[in-house]
Amino acid sequence: MLNNFRARLISQLGRAQANSEIKWMNQFIVDSTGPGAKATANTLRLEDLLRRRVGGEPLQYILGTQPFGQLDLLVRPPTLIPRHETEEWSLKLAKATTPCPSAPITILDLGTGTGCIPLLFATIWPQGSVHAHAVDISEHAVRLSTENALRAGVSTRNTDAKEARNTFTAFRADYTQDKFWEDPRLKPPYNLVTSNPPYIPLQEYEELPPSVRLYEDKQALYGGKDGLDFYRSIGRVLGFPGALASEATIALEVGHDQASQVAEIVERIPRIDIGSLEIWKDAWGKDRTVVARTHEP
Amino acid sequence: MFSLGRRAHFAFRLVRHASLSSRESKYLTGTHTGPELVKMLETDNSKILKLVRRKVDERTALMAEAEQIAINGDPSSQEYRDKTRRASELLVFQDAWSSYESAKSNLLETHTLLSHPDPDMRDLATEEYPSLPPTLTSLLLTTFPSLLVPPSSSSQHNLAGALMDLKSGVGGQESSLFLSELLRMYTRFAGSKSVDEETGEVIKAKWGVTIVQQNDADAGGIKDAIVEIKGKGAYDLMRWESGVHRVQRVPATDSAGRVHTSTVAVIVLPMLEESDKVEDELFKMDDVKIEVMRARGAGGQHVNKTESAVRLTHTPTGITVSMQDERSQHQNRRRAFQVLRARLLDLKLSADIASRRATRRSLVKGADRSEKIRTYNWAQDRITDHRVPGLTVRGLEGVMEGDGRVGGGFGGLVGRVEEWGREVEVEECLGEMMEALDKEEGQGEVGK
Repeated sequence: MLNNFRARLISQLGRAQANSEIKWMNQFIVDSTGPGAKATANTLRLEDLLRRRVGGEPLQYILGTQPFGQLDLLVRPPTLIPRHETEEWSLKLAKATTPCPSAPITILDLGTGTGCIPLLFATIWPQGSVHAHAVDISEHAVRLSTENALRAGVSTRNTDAKEARNTFTAFRADYTQDKFWEDPRLKPPYNLVTSNPPYIPLQEYEELPPSVRLYEDKQALYGGKDGLDFYRSIGRVLGFPGALASEATIALEVGHDQASQVAEIVERIPRIDIGSLEIWKDAWGKDRTVVARTHEP
Repeated sequence: MFSLGRRAHFAFRLVRHASLSSRESKYLTGTHTGPELVKMLETDNSKILKLVRRKVDERTALMAEAEQIAINGDPSSQEYRDKTRRASELLVFQDAWSSYESAKSNLLETHTLLSHPDPDMRDLATEEYPSLPPTLTSLLLTTFPSLLVPPSSSSQHNLAGALMDLKSGVGGQESSLFLSELLRMYTRFAGSKSVDEETGEVIKAKWGVTIVQQNDADAGGIKDAIVEIKGKGAYDLMRWESGVHRVQRVPATDSAGRVHTSTVAVIVLPMLEESDKVEDELFKMDDVKIEVMRARGAGGQHVNKTESAVRLTHTPTGITVSMQDERSQHQNRRRAFQVLRARLLDLKLSADIASRRATRRSLVKGADRSEKIRTYNWAQDRITDHRVPGLTVRGLEGVMEGDGRVGGGFGGLVGRVEEWGREVEVEECLGEMMEALDKEEGQGEVGK
């Protein structure tokens, strides 16, 4: 049976990728069955993991984690698995921004999922230089991202007092609603707004590979008929008076062919004056991130 | 059991000492009188004496100049600081020279006392005399050369450790099996904790070991692997593993029981401390092409495959590094840059050595990595190192177990290669200095 699964995995993924995945599964078994661990070699068998993988389940859900920069994030269905592309632009943004404890910044992450984007910043930047608010429509995501913050050693205290450490607070909120800003847990104005909103259009959603469509949250993927619904919502939210600090950055991940349309939406946000707008490509050469900075006053 | 291990270690040291003094034994055997010995030593080794004498004179001159600055000039100036710093670097030569001078006069004076009319004086002298020639000889033939020859070029870089690159060679599956055994030997030697036999205390692992990359062969064994050995001195010792390792045995897979010969090629690369900046003096970022493997279609949310493989190509040298062992592309990229940097530094060090050696034959084999450096023969239960004359170790299993006991196992083997290599390096370097001295003096005479 084991060899049968192995052969099927090779035919699905190619030899090199299949061998790598089997190696990672074996490593996972070793790591999870050590002394004091709950699992044993009998309850956690390569054959069972392979069966799930061959059946289309994402490797990340099987192993329960996904590396993201220096982080090792917990992932659980159906919360969206962090992607390499997101890791890449988040690292680039983290390098391009240099907050410090004497001039801390606030972040709002819309649709945080595992919390990957703000948690990466909170672990790269110096302590006391960033306070992140992360919202998500899904209670699962709020819980998971809070667990990830604790796992990464990031404080989850939401406090008005000047906190000496970096903080990350996740809560359930719906940024497509007009009364979004009425939530007292939000503390505008924000210096940095990040989002990897659902951006897959209807047609493409139906053609998604089963490992994405059948396992990951539709609420985290499907962006409406043209895929741009959530960018329009973000535009409305950020156009609210006092949402952004006078010097602010907006960084939005976009689908492979959406950069110019999203750039246009960002430029039309009322009440803010865009000073510079960049479109960053990913490692595969696709337009991946729209990064806008407001004019310095 | 315990005492046996310790005795073996002691015997090993004795043997080594005997081999070291081969150069010195010429002067210590035979029946030279004290004055004859001094004359022989100083005639044969006049160049070493001259080289050391120069360092001593240089120091004396520097001290005088510094004193002038201190009296007439500005003692806080850079010039003053440079001169005093250089002078203090040369202090070791002054000390060694004084030791040599006093050992010499001690020998000559004691020699005259051997025929002193007072029998008590004669007895004292007779008792003291035998220890004097070895002291003098060792100062001239061991201490002076080790001071004159700078430490190896690798130690001039701040190395964090070594990257060992193992590739299976001829012999197919048997080669892959042997590679996995070599890898185990190295990782056990470098990374295993050991227990002090006397106190029972756990001694922490010598170095940190991480397998950076490993490609298993389908039929068992390992096709190739890269292992990181992190820690001070790791490169200086492990670099002697570079070269072709040959195994001779009956493979488990051969039912006819024939002895096969297979090989594994090892390259040991110097690893620099990891820095935040990717770019450094070894390469320009513009010269590195970074590729991610395979097309990903729309990418982003559309795809959740773990396609983390990264390939770097350094255009000027054509070096490519592929890394796919980690699930994170970021980690693979970091690792790939680490390997690239090690390969480039290795190139640089090899070029340094090559240019130094351009004018003479190299005595250190293994600078050529295609050279066979060691044979592991199972039937005869021996390991023979082909670089060090007469170096054959019995008890193959014990070495392959790679325990870190001093003097035993793999550590003892590679330790002997390292000592031999250092001696050869010192000799080569000294030879160069003498040649330079000859040339200089030749020119001086023409100038007159």
